[in-house]
Amino acid sequence: MSPALHPLPRLLHPAAWWLWGVGLAVAASRTLNPFLLLLIVAVATWVVLERRELGSSNALVAFLVIGLVAIGLRIVMVTLLGGGVTGRVVLVRLPEVPLPDWTSGVRIGGPVTLEGTLFAVYQGLQLATILACLGAVNALASPRRLLRYVPATLYEIGTAVVVALTFAPQLVEDAQRVRTARRLRGHSSRSLAELGRIAVPVLVGALERSLDLAASMESRGYGRAVRRTARSTRLAGVLTLVGVGGVVVGLYGLLDGTSPLLLGMPTLALGVACAAAALLVGARRDPRTHYRRDPWGLSEWLVAAAGVVPAVVMIVAGTRHWDGIVPQQVPVELPAVPLVLVAAILVGATAAWTAPVPPLLARSRVARTTSAQRELVAS
Amino acid sequence: MSSWRTRVVMVLVLLVGVAAFGWPFLASPDSELSQMGHSTDASFLFVALMGLMALALLAEMTSGGVDAKTVAVLGVLAAAGGSLRVLSAGTAGLEPMFFLLVVAGRVLGASLGFLLGALALLASAFLTAGVGPWTPFQMIAAGWVCLGAGLLPAATGRRERWMLTAYGLVCGLAYGVVMNLWFWPFLGDSAPAGAGFVPGGGAAVNLGHYAVFYVTTSLAWDLPRGLLTAALTLLASGSLLRALRRSLRQARFDAPVVFADPAQRSL
Amino acid sequence: MIVFDDVSIAYDEQPVLTGADVVLEEGELTLVVGPTGSGKSTLLRAINGLVPHFSGGTLHGKVTVDGRDTRTHRPRDLADVVGFVLQDPVASFVTDTVEEELAYGMEALGVDATAMRRRVEETLDLLGLADVRSRPLRSLSGGQQQRVAIGAVLASGPRILVLDEPTSALDPVAAEDVLASLHRLVHDLGLTVVVAEHRLERVIHHADRVLLIQDGRVSALLDPAEAMVASTIYPPVIGLGRHLGWSPLPLSVRDARRRAGDLRASLEGVATAVAPTLAAAPVATAAGLVVRRGGEPVLRGIDLAVRPGEVVAVMGRNGAGKSTLLGSLVGQHAPVAGSVRIGHADHEIDPARARPAEIVRRAGMVPQDPISILYTDSVDEECRAADRDFRLPAGTTRAVLDRIAPGLDDDQHPRELSEGQRLSLALSLILASEPEVVLLDEPTRGLDYQAKRRLVGLLRDLAGRGHAILLATHDVELAAEVATRVMVLAEGEVVADGPAADVLAGSPAYAPQVAKILHPLRLLTVDEVVAAEGAAS
Repeated sequence: MSPALHPLPRLLHPAAWWLWGVGLAVAASRTLNPFLLLLIVAVATWVVLERRELGSSNALVAFLVIGLVAIGLRIVMVTLLGGGVTGRVVLVRLPEVPLPDWTSGVRIGGPVTLEGTLFAVYQGLQLATILACLGAVNALASPRRLLRYVPATLYEIGTAVVVALTFAPQLVEDAQRVRTARRLRGHSSRSLAELGRIAVPVLVGALERSLDLAASMESRGYGRAVRRTARSTRLAGVLTLVGVGGVVVGLYGLLDGTSPLLLGMPTLALGVACAAAALLVGARRDPRTHYRRDPWGLSEWLVAAAGVVPAVVMIVAGTRHWDGIVPQQVPVELPAVPLVLVAAILVGATAAWTAPVPPLLARSRVARTTSAQRELVAS
Repeated sequence: MSSWRTRVVMVLVLLVGVAAFGWPFLASPDSELSQMGHSTDASFLFVALMGLMALALLAEMTSGGVDAKTVAVLGVLAAAGGSLRVLSAGTAGLEPMFFLLVVAGRVLGASLGFLLGALALLASAFLTAGVGPWTPFQMIAAGWVCLGAGLLPAATGRRERWMLTAYGLVCGLAYGVVMNLWFWPFLGDSAPAGAGFVPGGGAAVNLGHYAVFYVTTSLAWDLPRGLLTAALTLLASGSLLRALRRSLRQARFDAPVVFADPAQRSL
Repeated sequence: MIVFDDVSIAYDEQPVLTGADVVLEEGELTLVVGPTGSGKSTLLRAINGLVPHFSGGTLHGKVTVDGRDTRTHRPRDLADVVGFVLQDPVASFVTDTVEEELAYGMEALGVDATAMRRRVEETLDLLGLADVRSRPLRSLSGGQQQRVAIGAVLASGPRILVLDEPTSALDPVAAEDVLASLHRLVHDLGLTVVVAEHRLERVIHHADRVLLIQDGRVSALLDPAEAMVASTIYPPVIGLGRHLGWSPLPLSVRDARRRAGDLRASLEGVATAVAPTLAAAPVATAAGLVVRRGGEPVLRGIDLAVRPGEVVAVMGRNGAGKSTLLGSLVGQHAPVAGSVRIGHADHEIDPARARPAEIVRRAGMVPQDPISILYTDSVDEECRAADRDFRLPAGTTRAVLDRIAPGLDDDQHPRELSEGQRLSLALSLILASEPEVVLLDEPTRGLDYQAKRRLVGLLRDLAGRGHAILLATHDVELAAEVATRVMVLAEGEVVADGPAADVLAGSPAYAPQVAKILHPLRLLTVDEVVAAEGAAS
């Protein structure tokens, strides 16, 4: 096999994972077909099982739980409050609470239809699937790894976030320490005021340390590189202004039915382009360098493609109104499962092979196989 | 940091935010957006847009460079806000983080406050590995909470405490109202009868529907959050305000730096 | 390399440093010696321009570093010439893994990627950090963290290293670890190093030159032995040398031991005072105490009895269970097996089941970081809060404070006090409720010699008043001064327990300097030597 298909263990570029995850999420947002949605969840889960680095947080589980709760909430809401879909098959008829006239259209209780409930499930499932894709990508590439790739225009913001992430666990420890210390003075209450009293020493202590941190950053060259000339700052400022202004005007065009079409999408697109350009202009002259950036190689292209392909296919299918994209609401029938769409989603699963195995996971797998071999030899 | 350009960009982003949150009410029935609203395209458009706007605004606010002290102080306060949110994640929306944001925003002032709010939310999203389409919305909304606290009129002592308490209550509720708005159109047909988004339905209808939706589904979450924020602010804001102000004074942000010749020394 | 040209520094018109006129040569290790608040930190921070660029203030005169004037060069412009290491390594970390931290400075300086990779690898080897390269910084030991902090500034390739109390917060093993690295940097690479340090016994024999600072006045560059003749602060080995009028003063235990042959002979056979055995019933006991933290057993069957008037020093490595033992006595950790009792027999309680308000009347503890039990804005308010907390008549706490640290200003903020004053304040809050047992966790961390001497007096006084005192400490000199009994823990078990002289004098790890010099005599402190001399003549 070629080395490209069997890359050495390393962490994949986080941007590739995020392209993959967002691609799958976009694909999920285009369909309400429960089979397709479940397939996407399965793909995301499978890739996480195969390529999540040991010791990284498994956000997928939490996101799946939230997704299930979302589905449940929708069912409860539709059951109690009714929904936008008026079905014919009544499952149960709850006692309806009489409401005064001015509550126009609101109802509590009343008939619960199969169609309404199913539709709530579909929509809940769609949200849950999008959440699962995001959970998968949070688990595969911790968002803090993305921080290393923020454009230089956001250098200060990126640094502040890095500082925050470094300090947060310390603060939690400090809070526990102060809490124990307060017991030494005979306090044992758990009231709100107590929370405030703990917060003060923790925060003040942290701010004192933040001055040390600032001194250390200053002595180590933070902010030394002049990465913006006055000209590039001005240019970036003007671009931001024009960009954000363009977005506002474009939105106005979109919101207002009577304005000329030119004022809508085109202006918005122009504004977006300017704002994005502003982010890059300031970054152009960044003399800072980067330690061990993740390379962008064949694996990254393949993983990104594995996310983009399902997204593109689903968008095309959605605009062409293919069968099986949106299941029929009334009457209920089993949605069709077009093979092309299934194939497109399965492309997303290829990331489980094309992405390199993360180093710690690779090491533990090697350890497991060697110990298995040793056992075999021993027996 | 508060050049006229930054202020203009801030106001413009505020307008984008108003549109992003409020488009269900603002879009006229025959507008392009209402057409989009029939699918969920409009929501996606705004997710992407808000992400970009948040970045553009943060870049503009920091374009003059931020010194090490400010970055460190913002980082630490954002860490505190972020970890408070992580700690209180299990308490059904009771987020003492708001208490900190209100008090710290008050101390830092409007523009640093905005940065703090946005950063605290971003940090908490990173801490919980919970980055998603909601993140830019939350960042901007939390930024507003801090900014508002910084813009409140000058007051001291008891009056300031009550003012912040009232503000905390309002924020706890308003944050919920605004944050529910961004996904309300997503609900589509599975929203409760008479409480769902009607694309092209006009402002009055949708406002009414949203009010019903909010009261029936979210008030029970947001009211405790508002009350908790208010109670905490009332009980603990005094000492925290004093402590933060003292710490910032000690940081000597604008301490004069003087170099003098040895000859000039007056001894 | 570093030139101070008639430098005076003032904050808000308050002078902190006056007329410093010093030239530090390349390749030397200069030790800056002075009590807390004498202007040491200001002098150090002036080297890379943190004072006044970062701190504000007025600088008269001129500081030049490698030909660069700090007026025109901000600290960040000197990052490639001066590496500045702070006391608390954890507070100086920007990132969260070892490699990233080492690379951070070079990224800011724009070192190109291949050179950066090479220098990170070299720095990892130089400081012996290769094994922990990808570990999170928080999971490292104190010594490793301080070495990472040194490596992080060193990676940018500065020729000058400035360290502000690099070992004050470390235990002896970690401190040795850091100093060995420093020694290597000076001798193998010829770096110019400037160090401020309280614990002179750890560093004085590494120093090439000494600068004494007192009340902002900086001495000329002195030879270490010369400097120690005049210095107001000095380690026990110097104290012994000064007492005996040795000249030149020996700086290390080895040198002193070679000079002390006569002294040892003259004191041979002199009976040392034996600590009286105390008959009173114990006020704190533990029997077969087993405590788990995070699933791991930290204490494995500890037996302990502390009587009124006793000062027990609990010693041992980091993680041996010292803090946990103290914590168990005030109910912070519930025992898995065994029992803990505090208080006199007629009102003894089990701290794990008692309310905090009941515990504080029997056992009071000052935690490692005294500031964590101080919350208010002024000394006065703190005292009144303590009166309220313990339901004492108004003014009780203040009276205790005036006894142990007279002259603390009412309006002063607890955070603005010196380490020693903070400790006194925290201790007086604890003492206000007259607990029978007083526990102190690492009380000498960050204290200078004078503050330590006051603490020693205070602890003796408390023991004399019938308090039972339990100290967890790494500081062998403190244990030698005050402890009547020493208990050594290892891996949660008691490995030695007996009178201080028995346990300390014979131990290679825990022997104080005087005991090492006079081995096999069982004398621990200079005062004991003086007393023994008196008895001999």
